[in-house]
Amino acid sequence: MVCSPGGIMSPRPPTLRENRRYLLVRVEPAGTVIDQKELYYAVSDAVTSLWGDAVAGVITQAVVAAENGHVIIRCLRGTEKELAIALSTVTTCHNVPVALRIVAASGTIQTLRERVRTKKPVPEPGSEPGTEPVGISRAEDGECVFLENPFLILNCNGQKVDVIEKGFKNAHRLFLTRSDLENS
Amino acid sequence: MKITDAAVFPYPCGDTSVRRLALEAKTLGFDSLIAMDTPAGSFEGIEIMSGINVQDVPMRDVIARVKREKDTRKVVSVSARDNGFNRAAISLKGVHILRGILAADKTAFDHVTAKMAADNNVAIDLDLSVLIAARGIARQRAIQRYRDVLTFERKFEFPVSLSSYARSYLDLRAVREITGLCSLINMDMQGVEKGLDSVARVTASPWSAVRVVS
Repeated sequence: MVCSPGGIMSPRPPTLRENRRYLLVRVEPAGTVIDQKELYYAVSDAVTSLWGDAVAGVITQAVVAAENGHVIIRCLRGTEKELAIALSTVTTCHNVPVALRIVAASGTIQTLRERVRTKKPVPEPGSEPGTEPVGISRAEDGECVFLENPFLILNCNGQKVDVIEKGFKNAHRLFLTRSDLENS
Repeated sequence: MKITDAAVFPYPCGDTSVRRLALEAKTLGFDSLIAMDTPAGSFEGIEIMSGINVQDVPMRDVIARVKREKDTRKVVSVSARDNGFNRAAISLKGVHILRGILAADKTAFDHVTAKMAADNNVAIDLDLSVLIAARGIARQRAIQRYRDVLTFERKFEFPVSLSSYARSYLDLRAVREITGLCSLINMDMQGVEKGLDSVARVTASPWSAVRVVS
């Protein structure tokens, strides 16, 4: 930004602007509530720990948007590879285990936003519409039984089923499939 | 080329069932997994190999265990200890992978052990979970140690296997991400491809030196 004395700040001319790239990243597990600030701290810690302050200052990572289980992370053009490697070392965000899967990279945010909005969920094998898995004892409020223990179903997408143990404390989250629940 | 993750720990060791791990591995570009202490099988096109790891037992127990698993189709791995133990373990017929090279002593893996690993077609495992989850000194040591191992690998050309040691599907990493992580330890794309394919090579039946033709 160029500021003339006593005047308003004017944007930089295009030739002096830094060129940026944006990475579209999917946050797993599905349904995780994403706090942009906490995710930024997690990503910054990962980048700084891996590459050091000097390179982190060059990458200038930032979480610019979060939408529909995806986040858009900004970096300097040419540093996408370093940022991608650092993102693969992010394991938790505010003490919640997460994994960041890079989906796409682009020069504009708009392209990535359109990609998120038009993205159809990939049909999982065995997830033909209208088929209910046989053998899963499922109550009205989304419960199931796995290995004779009751679980609450958190997320169900095709074959993938995320469940959490029923209880007030030490509730463990398990990642299963419909086949596991049918066969248990 | 068969892309294999050389160690995953499904439920009850972790929080993800083996089928779910297979499903996630498929989307991440893998062809097979070695699931520790889990029966072998196949799910959604992903081959699940049964793996066992022999650790913290004297050599005679290692020999007995390896003999017991001889005719099963399990992938047998031994945790590295001191130099003498490693050489003895590598020379055992039936041992496929030597693991835990990071936790072992600095002198536990040297050029003689490397030559023996190449001669006996035993893979040396690189645990990528340390590069992913560790910070600071722990990760620096891991990078340094793995670079040493890869220096020997370039000279003696023994197999190197790559493991995520995933206990949850969140710990799995895509093939592209593994390539990026391996670039930290000076492993190029070709090396990563060889590493991911090494399990298929060490578990393949050894061809005999003499082949009768009619």
